[in-house]
Amino acid sequence: MELIVTQEKLNRALSAVSRIASIKTQLPILSNILLRTDGTRLLVAATNLEIAITQYIGAKIIKPGSITIPARLMSEFISSLPKESVELKVVNDNLHIKSGSYNSIINGFIADEFPELPTINESSSIQYSIKVEDFKQAVSQTIITASNDSARPVLTGVYWNSHQGQLYLAATDGYRLSERRLVETKSEVSAIIPTQTLQEVLRNITEESDQIDILFDETQVRFRINDTEIISRLIDGNFPDYRQLVPSASETVITINKADFVRITKIAGLFARESGGSITLTADKKKKTLSVHSIASQMGENTSETDAEITNDGQITLNYRYLSEALSVTDGDIVEFGFNGKIAPCILKSTKTNTDYYHIIMPLKS
Amino acid sequence: MLHSLWQSVLGEIELSVSHATFTTWFKNTELISQNDAGIVISVPNIFAKKQFEVKFNDQIKTILAKNGINPKQINYIVSTTGKHTRLNRETTVEPTASSSLSPADDLLSNSSRSQSAPTPAVTGGLNPRYTFDNFIVGSSNDLAYTASRAVAASPGVKYNPIYLYGGVGLGKTHLMQAIGNEIIKNDPKTRIVYISIETFVNEFLDHIRFKKKGFSDKYRNVDVLIVDDMQFIAGKEKTQEEFFHTFNHLHQNNKQIIISSDKPPKSIPTLTERLRSRFEMGMAIDIQMPDFETRCAILNIKASLSGVTLKQDTIEYLATNIKTNIRELEGALNQLLAYAEMRGIEPDISTAEGLLGNIRHSRPQHISSKQIIDRTAKHFQLDANEICSEKRDKYIVVPRQIAMYLLRSELHLSFPKIAIELGRKDHTTAIHSVEKIEKAIKLDFLIREQVASIREKLYA
Repeated sequence: MELIVTQEKLNRALSAVSRIASIKTQLPILSNILLRTDGTRLLVAATNLEIAITQYIGAKIIKPGSITIPARLMSEFISSLPKESVELKVVNDNLHIKSGSYNSIINGFIADEFPELPTINESSSIQYSIKVEDFKQAVSQTIITASNDSARPVLTGVYWNSHQGQLYLAATDGYRLSERRLVETKSEVSAIIPTQTLQEVLRNITEESDQIDILFDETQVRFRINDTEIISRLIDGNFPDYRQLVPSASETVITINKADFVRITKIAGLFARESGGSITLTADKKKKTLSVHSIASQMGENTSETDAEITNDGQITLNYRYLSEALSVTDGDIVEFGFNGKIAPCILKSTKTNTDYYHIIMPLKS
Repeated sequence: MLHSLWQSVLGEIELSVSHATFTTWFKNTELISQNDAGIVISVPNIFAKKQFEVKFNDQIKTILAKNGINPKQINYIVSTTGKHTRLNRETTVEPTASSSLSPADDLLSNSSRSQSAPTPAVTGGLNPRYTFDNFIVGSSNDLAYTASRAVAASPGVKYNPIYLYGGVGLGKTHLMQAIGNEIIKNDPKTRIVYISIETFVNEFLDHIRFKKKGFSDKYRNVDVLIVDDMQFIAGKEKTQEEFFHTFNHLHQNNKQIIISSDKPPKSIPTLTERLRSRFEMGMAIDIQMPDFETRCAILNIKASLSGVTLKQDTIEYLATNIKTNIRELEGALNQLLAYAEMRGIEPDISTAEGLLGNIRHSRPQHISSKQIIDRTAKHFQLDANEICSEKRDKYIVVPRQIAMYLLRSELHLSFPKIAIELGRKDHTTAIHSVEKIEKAIKLDFLIREQVASIREKLYA
């Protein structure tokens, strides 16, 4: 293999893929990255056997071939080089790198040892092209409620599912739940994508990307953004039937300015650190106020109040972290917060008419 | 059939690839069908599928051909059925920010939980063979037995924690497991975990090393925690701390804790003070060596369980000659029964004598009276000469008496001989000393423990 490539392109590709080349693996080759010529392009890939990331970059190919080399050393070396062209040449399983006056030889392995990158059936009918903005928002709105408890694997991902012609993303950790409508869909989908995969996809979104192509088959999913491809396994199992958990109507509905709500939640949170984040919300219909109360037995206590539209008096105790996280991903300036008594789940959503998102939180026992 | 075929393929592949490669790719694979059209192999994930299709296909074909199978084609499918059992295991509840405040309910409590197979009560590690019914009660263990019964009847209420201690093979594990089994019998929904402290230590280390989650919950979400061989926690400070928190959490929530050890809490070296005091706050009971009658009863029951009735003299012979430990007693009985059955002879006293002669006599042969005296002296940090001297200081007298007792009990020396060994002129001193220690062993815990510990060192 012999080729010339710009430092910028190579560096970007290496930093994108080398993150998942882990050294903590039983198969030593997985800490390497694969370099392979592909027509007039250079393929840079790494995998941890859960996901595989592949970057294609334009290069001047002199002699086709392939090699694998330690990810960390390679990416750190390339990132230290000036922005000039870099010559890569394989001699006897070693990679000779030359850029200006910088010369390196990195010992590699033959590429045959590297796991084959999975391929996906291109003719699969389940595919979507989604605007990067929508994708980013939908994923970040739902991923925060996914669980990281490996004892319940189905909850450690975001559930992509079709329902009445729409594609929804949902995630829950057992204490909160969020759902976001993404696009219309003609095909039936039911797939749980690991959170790590989605985080990796989010990281690979650059300013130039405006569209993301997603392709599902039975056991895997592929994301394609510009010249980056991410293939991941799907989590096996049945996601709980979460729609039945969504409260159909709320006894107490508080319509409130989001910025005010964020502020009083944050202040109450300061006093809730000792009590495990517990804050109590009290809605007063007559006074048209929502007050938040929290106690730090050692340091003092706090009550903050703000104006709000209220349908019925009510009180509920929540973990302020859950509430502020929910508020931070809910769009719109005015939000609607509804609950039914002290122990039923409460629901937060924007008051915008066609809101695509809602967030459910279980209260704390007070 | 398919399974054994696949096993032989795997066996051959294992020899030709590196261990890492084998465990990465071939674990959780299975040959799931074979017919005229070809064969189907299930692999755990998409990466493995591709790897098999491209890298291992030819090799597998060659090995199958050697086994007389030439499939037209091999299909690989991704299947995680092998992992399902793992996924369906008990669902652990997430840690919550505070212990006093917990979410009112799990959102999914009535949906996801009911979908997964109904989790049977976690009988974690209990062996149903150990019950109260087949525990033989004698004067040496009746206190422990009664207390265990009380705990089993109302877990978490009486005697919490209950701490059982005693030498090896005296029935600590049996009693603890019997408590667990009884509680399960009364309320099958009770979550019981039985572990050896070693398991706890190892899991704790894994938890630190691999940042595994759910460690503390695993032991904090139980109703009854049974921990065996607590003495091995000695010197493991971080584990002690973790166990301390687990202990507190359970105790505060009135969950029953059952502990066994070969030493009382205060004799476990390097046990932190706070754990020691906690172990002592419930009930600490020692299980002693079974007396002669109990040993006879045990032999009778064990023999009848094997469908054999032994003559009284045989039983007495065994019970007289094996005093230290019930496991040894059972071993000797089994040996006798097996020997008799093999030879087609009666398991009577003469057979027992012939067979166990070596057990009985093996010990004194390699122990000398000098060793006993030296050991005893060393145990009390004295000089052997001091023990044999004329001095009558208290700190020497007791060790001297113990040495005499051991010479008598271990070597069956005559009293005059014992007197000579210790430089006494009169053998009545020896008689008095042996009697005194025999009595003290029954009454004084300290003496009992010292004698046991010297004896242990002698045979170590």
